[in-house]
Amino acid sequence: MSFINYSSREINCKIVYYGPGLCGKTTNLQYVYKKTNPEQKGKLISLATETERTLFFDFLPLALGDIKGFKVRFHLYTVPGQVFYAASRKLILKGVDGVVFVADSQIERMEANIESLDDLRINLAEQGYELDKLPYTIQHNKRDLSNVAPLENMNKLLNSRNVPWFEGCAVTGVGVFETLKNVAKQVLIELKKHY
Amino acid sequence: MVVVCPKCRTKLKVDDTRLSPQGSRFKCPRCSTVLVIKKPAAQEKKALDGKKALIAHSNPSVVENIRTLLAGQGYTTLTSADGIDAMVKALKELPWLGIIEVALPKIYGFEVCKRLKSRPETKEMKFILVPSIYDKTKYRREPVSLYGADNYIEEHDLSTRLIDTVNRLQSGAPAEAETHQQKSPVPSAPDISADEKKPQPDFGQSQAPAAKISAEVKGDEMTEKARRLARTIVNDIYLYNSAKVDEAVRQDKFYAVFAAEVKEGKKLYDNRIPQETRDKADFYKEAIDNFLAAKKKALS
Repeated sequence: MSFINYSSREINCKIVYYGPGLCGKTTNLQYVYKKTNPEQKGKLISLATETERTLFFDFLPLALGDIKGFKVRFHLYTVPGQVFYAASRKLILKGVDGVVFVADSQIERMEANIESLDDLRINLAEQGYELDKLPYTIQHNKRDLSNVAPLENMNKLLNSRNVPWFEGCAVTGVGVFETLKNVAKQVLIELKKHY
Repeated sequence: MVVVCPKCRTKLKVDDTRLSPQGSRFKCPRCSTVLVIKKPAAQEKKALDGKKALIAHSNPSVVENIRTLLAGQGYTTLTSADGIDAMVKALKELPWLGIIEVALPKIYGFEVCKRLKSRPETKEMKFILVPSIYDKTKYRREPVSLYGADNYIEEHDLSTRLIDTVNRLQSGAPAEAETHQQKSPVPSAPDISADEKKPQPDFGQSQAPAAKISAEVKGDEMTEKARRLARTIVNDIYLYNSAKVDEAVRQDKFYAVFAAEVKEGKKLYDNRIPQETRDKADFYKEAIDNFLAAKKKALS
């Protein structure tokens, strides 16, 4: 749930980047961090292992201007992708306002994508959320690699509801801001409905 | 029968009974061109050569690749690098099988196939289309027709699927009997007049996860879910610790070195997979053992 602080006139929204292990969730956040103005962003907090793999989460607060005199702040989180950190992922999903599913386009990771999407649904359901009712964007990442699956197939497998999706190459920044903007827009539209 | 005058394109009705087997001469009543018309029945008699196959592909290395595969099965081969040559050779040599690139130069492969299928002397020929581009994923679209071909094989799948498909066509069995292959969209012909879309078959062939999954859905869904989760767990252990896993596999110590991970994974597996499915078999252990066996083979 987005958190509105009336005294400081702030709206805080939580966006979680989800996806299988090593699909590029942290890379997305790092690119956003790198390319935003210092006054817009907070510190990128990364709880990672010594091999730079997300252990608990990455966190990046991002200011996106004002709406009706309220400062809108987006909190971007990633989850650890490795399949057995399910408990951490569940915790991070608490209070989520929008989800970005980062899919790994490599053919051999398709099974991991499906598994991760299942995991996302289960973890959301356990907290009373429904993926189909949340602002939700998909990024087909790593499109620069040679062993990628066709987009049509990926959408068939992972995007049956036909939500907005983007091609990405998070390392170079392709699709990173498009994805973020899209999910942010959906979150704001949702916010408008309620307040 | 109806004959078209090659000069003025007038359609002429000719009485079959007046034709001699050697061919009869007629004058076109409109432009006075002299036509030699043979009795069509005489051409239909020839049977196709069951040991001869035509390979038409613009890439010589692919031609050579297919030629080697077929030669291993005792077939003699004719080769062509363009559509016109392929048509000529097919009509002259009457091979029983054509393996044809979709985007063949001069006449597209699907056109060659359609034309040969519509001619009496080659209508019994079997065709396998070979889509020439398979990695330019942007131009994929759902295919609507194989244009009379009996099957299609993607270039990168030739080595694994060609012989099997040829044998099936030879024996007269339906070429696309394999359920998972039928699910993959077949390539459509490039629409020359319209946009630039090229035919792109499904990436999901036998070894690709997507197709595998669609085939497996038919089985017990929960069993498959269990297997998939187990495989993902094992793959993740490897993904995050590949060097360490390789080392452990080499020394036959995987279970000892990764005891914590294996236990953690098992906890998740037990949590996600209902008891009923877990009672059927230990899919978790099965996935690990399969992974270890494959890894060992790869490392040795």
